[in-house]
Amino acid sequence: MTLTGTLRALFAGTMMVAASGWAMAADGELVLGALLPLTGPAAPIGIEEQQGVQFAIDQVNAKGGLNGVPVRIVFDDSQGKPDQAVLAFNRMADLQDVPAMITAFSSISLAIAPLATRRELLVVNPAAQTDKLENASPYLLNTIPLVKDEAQVLAKYATANIGKNAAIVYENAAAGIDGRDDFKKYFEAAGGKILAEEPVEFGQTNYRSSLLKVASVKPDFVYIAITQSHETMADQVGQVPGFPVAIGNTFSRPFFGYASTEGWYQTAIQSGYPDDATLEAFKTQFDAEDMGFFAREYFNATNIIIEAARLVTKDGASLTGTTLRDAIFKIKDFNSPIADIRFDTNTASRPVEIQQYKGKERKVITTSTASSAQ
Amino acid sequence: MLYVQLIADGVVTGCAIGLVAVSFAYFYATTGIFHVAHAGIYTLCGYIAWYLTGLGIPFILALIASILCGALVGMFVQVTLYQTLENKGASPLVKLIASIGVLTTLQNIVAIFFTPNIVQFDLPWRLNSLTIGGVWFSVPQILILLSSVGLFAAVVLFSKYSKLGKRIRAVASNPGLAEITHLNPQRVFVYVIAISSGLVAVPGVLVGVDQALQPYTSLIILLTAVIAMIAGGIGSLGGAFVMSIVLAVIQSLSVAFVSGRWSIAVVFAIFVLFILIRPEGLVRRKFSRAI
Repeated sequence: MTLTGTLRALFAGTMMVAASGWAMAADGELVLGALLPLTGPAAPIGIEEQQGVQFAIDQVNAKGGLNGVPVRIVFDDSQGKPDQAVLAFNRMADLQDVPAMITAFSSISLAIAPLATRRELLVVNPAAQTDKLENASPYLLNTIPLVKDEAQVLAKYATANIGKNAAIVYENAAAGIDGRDDFKKYFEAAGGKILAEEPVEFGQTNYRSSLLKVASVKPDFVYIAITQSHETMADQVGQVPGFPVAIGNTFSRPFFGYASTEGWYQTAIQSGYPDDATLEAFKTQFDAEDMGFFAREYFNATNIIIEAARLVTKDGASLTGTTLRDAIFKIKDFNSPIADIRFDTNTASRPVEIQQYKGKERKVITTSTASSAQ
Repeated sequence: MLYVQLIADGVVTGCAIGLVAVSFAYFYATTGIFHVAHAGIYTLCGYIAWYLTGLGIPFILALIASILCGALVGMFVQVTLYQTLENKGASPLVKLIASIGVLTTLQNIVAIFFTPNIVQFDLPWRLNSLTIGGVWFSVPQILILLSSVGLFAAVVLFSKYSKLGKRIRAVASNPGLAEITHLNPQRVFVYVIAISSGLVAVPGVLVGVDQALQPYTSLIILLTAVIAMIAGGIGSLGGAFVMSIVLAVIQSLSVAFVSGRWSIAVVFAIFVLFILIRPEGLVRRKFSRAI
């Protein structure tokens, strides 16, 4: 190829890339991406998240799409691994030309954050909570408060109401380590003392030695920061005589309902249910007994992107990561039966509840926000 | 009391790993194939029993069914894969890679056809317990302990005294001679993998009953079992079983002295030191595949 030919080819390529932002509407559909762990140990959560996203897209299309333009979602499998997530991100960005992507898991979100910045592609995280996500990328928006926000509320409550000597059991991964560090920081600042820290591995199913060790130091309570295998740990807690009361964050939700976890505490991001008709439609579509926490959060996050896309198209701008992000900050408040979300920064501000397991209910003890807990 | 309880938990875990090590060693010593897919059969059998008990089938029948399924899957792998590769003159490395492929396939089959979730058996008795001299055991832990010791003894006796056991040892000692003397090594390999795969079903199911089932964690159990097999002395079933218990007790007990994140590292470090001092393993044997 001659130099002129090469320049022409480069020019044509550049024009194609430049045109791709508005090519979506011209192609007759808006394509969004979702990068979720659909196989591997995290698949149960990933599949629930996938259902939430798919349901939101189906609901939008059933109501005529985005101003008459159908919306399509492309799923790719991160396998819960950062290296696979980077490959999947590039596949969706290069081949599908998506302007926005929904993600899951802290390590995945952190791995793709620099790519999101470089390619100016909006990434919305509805579930990962590691503190590093706060400033990972100007194009990464978190629709859920981070670990530190919950830890702050929890530490204040624990020192005032449960005790000043604690042990920690944490998952040896981003969210668990952040949970440990944040809780320790706020708990010690409030006059508390950490007597023991024990890590457990992601995917582990035998916790006996760790539980025995933390129980042996006789703390007033144990702070547990794990993201999966709660049922197994709850069973094994019941096998350790005299195991103290435990507390945790939003991810502790599956601990509820066991004899061994009666009286335990957890923080919870307020997350409601959609209206009855929508809830029933979800249950029917996925043959599900309930619309779980992750399904609701991913449904809501997808709707936030769609709402931003409506504003962008209404303003006559092209749908890009930048315009979508700017639209979210312009709208700022996204209120729905699931959550009242406000974007003053990249991370949403939402109320945090302290709940206690009492029989068949999670009793809300108090509600506050991280800023009010200071 | 903490130490005693940690040792007791380690012994139970070690017995389960011991049975994995013994069954793996039995097949490896006979065939020379590094049968990594053994971990996949371990997982598959656990999920089969979980699925069957979910259908209301009594646990003991579900356990027997999973043992039979494990044996059949093992035989299928031997006949369709290892034997084919052997006939084509494949090297041990090629067989190892093929075995890794089978492991990955089995794990994904479990995740697709059953569930990728961490699941627990719906058996109320699994949460019952027994205290012996102040040491606490769950009912599944007691079953693991008894079945592992019993099956280990049965394998040793079978290997030493039964006609088939002697035939297996003859094939393992000298496959070439076994071929000439019409001992039919390929058929013996099928018997051995059936026995090994049926054996590994037992800890696969019982550990699942005691803790939970997870499609992707069996490889670390196999890795520990392989370390125990090497440290115990390749070819020694007793060495593999004893070293499995020793390593599991060290790992469990180490948590009392160092952070849990170091427990696996402690086990591997001790293994490295041990093998430097005693490269032939706990039980002195020649570096052969003889059992």
